[in-house]
Amino acid sequence: MLALLGATTLMLVAGRCVLPAASGEANLKPKNVEIHIIDDNFFLKWNSSSESVRNVTFSADYQILGTDNWKKLPGCQHISSNKCNFSSVELKNVFEKIELRIRAEEGNNTSTWYEVEPFVPFLEAQIGPPDVHLEAEDKAVILSISPPGTKDSIMWALDRSSFTYHVVIWKNSSSLEERTETVYPEDKIYKLSPEITYCLKVKAELRLQSRVGCYSPVYCINTTERHKVPSPENIQISADNQVYVLKWDYPYEHTTFQAQWLSAFLKKIPGKHSDKWKQIPSCENVTTTRCVFPRAVFSSGIYCVRVRASNGNGTSFWSEEKKFNAEMKTVILPPVISMRSTTDDSLCVSVGASEESENTPVNPLYPLIYEVIFWENTSNAERKVLEKRTDFTFPNLKPLTVYCVKARALIEDDRRNKGSNFSETVCEKTKPGNTSKTWLIAGICTILFSIPVVIYVVRVFLRCVKYVFFPSSKPPSSVDEYFSDQPLRNLLLSTSEEQTERCFIIENASIITEIEETNEIDEVHKEYSSQTSQDSGNYSNEDENSGVKISEEFLQQDSV
Amino acid sequence: MTYRCLLQMALLLCFSTTALSSSYSLLRFQQRRSAAVCQKLLRQLPSTPQHCLEFRMHFQVPEEMKQAQQFRKEDAVLVMYEMLQQIFGILTRDFSSTGWSETIIEDLLVELYGQMNHLEPIQKEIMQKKNFTMGDTAVLHLKKYYFDLVQYLKSKEDNRCAWTVVRVQILMNFSFLKSLTGYLRD
Repeated sequence: MLALLGATTLMLVAGRCVLPAASGEANLKPKNVEIHIIDDNFFLKWNSSSESVRNVTFSADYQILGTDNWKKLPGCQHISSNKCNFSSVELKNVFEKIELRIRAEEGNNTSTWYEVEPFVPFLEAQIGPPDVHLEAEDKAVILSISPPGTKDSIMWALDRSSFTYHVVIWKNSSSLEERTETVYPEDKIYKLSPEITYCLKVKAELRLQSRVGCYSPVYCINTTERHKVPSPENIQISADNQVYVLKWDYPYEHTTFQAQWLSAFLKKIPGKHSDKWKQIPSCENVTTTRCVFPRAVFSSGIYCVRVRASNGNGTSFWSEEKKFNAEMKTVILPPVISMRSTTDDSLCVSVGASEESENTPVNPLYPLIYEVIFWENTSNAERKVLEKRTDFTFPNLKPLTVYCVKARALIEDDRRNKGSNFSETVCEKTKPGNTSKTWLIAGICTILFSIPVVIYVVRVFLRCVKYVFFPSSKPPSSVDEYFSDQPLRNLLLSTSEEQTERCFIIENASIITEIEETNEIDEVHKEYSSQTSQDSGNYSNEDENSGVKISEEFLQQDSV
Repeated sequence: MTYRCLLQMALLLCFSTTALSSSYSLLRFQQRRSAAVCQKLLRQLPSTPQHCLEFRMHFQVPEEMKQAQQFRKEDAVLVMYEMLQQIFGILTRDFSSTGWSETIIEDLLVELYGQMNHLEPIQKEIMQKKNFTMGDTAVLHLKKYYFDLVQYLKSKEDNRCAWTVVRVQILMNFSFLKSLTGYLRD
């Protein structure tokens, strides 16, 4: 029982001793392996898993992703510390993915490999500090910046001309007044005060990859005392027809000036270009603060210009370099415009390049559009039109009117260039249009045709009016038949005359009764016939008339 | 009051987009003209002498430069800028062995610099707004291609034949640049 207990205890103790030895291999494996790349310097860092100080070393291998050819990583073999420098690895290509693995060794035991995530050196690399060289003037500091890495750098081999540099400069006495500027590799920082200690630091940036590097160490320099001959200031360049005019400010007289130019692309390339500055012709030893030189000196491109002064006391430092873009100063000549009147009340306008501009190669560089101003000669109302075509028409104009037009050429979509001056004003009168003639003829015809219609309408209207307000005494035709022996005229006239009754005195009473009867019968007969008549107006007249007629008949009977 | 503000904002947006879009069309015109000028200048350099034929080298053209690609205009700007920068870098190397005219090379550099200058404001804006889809892999492909060209020149010590081979590659690059300008549309 005891023996059993003893044996178990022994086994447990032995197990405890043995077990650590077995897990020791796993413990050896490094942890948190990181890669640090600055320019062409490659570092590998890790943490060892075991805490106790033992004879543990580390070794690493590498291979290009995809190949199956692990190679020993130079500078990282049997390292006892926690980091190694493998910059001496000669990577053919920093744009390919690399695989790394590292393991720990203790004597003959090795841990398992720790495999680092594959990476592209170019993407992992940090941009290191650039190398800066300073030179002082009285009011400026000249910077000569070398790109990060060495000249034979593999990491930045393609980007040496692509870096942009940011400088932070301050007065040593007060770090509050900081200024940040973006500079070229060979550049100057201006607007400083003489005899002051300035300190600065520089960092490089690869703009296209949005990668910013570390700042360089701080460099300090003293500006010199104020120079006896000040530098020219406020350089201006303007274009004027076939020449450029260079102007600057200078406080003193009796000074000669010298102007130089440089192609701006050279500023992008690291290294000194002091020998590349060239004299501007007709701007050497000028005594005025301006000089004029032909445009042919600067073909299209970007240039830097600088000026310095010299008098009896010496020569000044170079002025601030003025960058100017020859393209933006392009002078566009005003176009030639012509206008003619066409039929249909419109004017056809033609815009063309002037003969002079045919010779200068400037204009074909840019797409031109024309700003055309069009107005009626008598009024001030102007119409402004932007036209890309060179031939266009203004339609729907008033006939026999004078219209005027002028145009200027603009570079399409480029508002920086103010365009040409206006061309000459051209005026033209529109034709008396066919349309107006036809309108005239149509109008006349309409009038001619409408006259009889109008007359007819007026007549009908008058008839109605007469009918309503001045009725005629003419009986309807059915009645008229009975009075066919009577001339119509009498009836019409009887309305205008006063009615006079013709009375006959009848002496014989018996005859009267007979006649009266017949009269009654006649009257009844007449009544019937009169009742059939619709015309009540005639009825009363008719009675009178019938009365007259009866009496006349009676007279005739009498006479018989 | 808010309505008026909204209207003003909308108008401002409209104008700013038209302003940017109109600058793209001018850019397209300038880039196309510039690429044509560069090709013309390159063709003025003497052509391949017979004995250089053995120096012919096949360079793996990156996928981004194969004609079948479709580009968004922001990506086209970034690819163009990188290509111009790299061609600029190559042409600053020592070409004295070729006997080429320094004036022509200088004119080429002036044109390239001018083109990059035109692209810079738009490229800055694209990087700020981050509205590009071109990833790191595209950058790597382009860089690897130009790295191969530079390594080739270095290995042949900038000799004449190596330069004529590289000149052919650069001519091809300008053809591709011209086709890229087609993507600078609104």
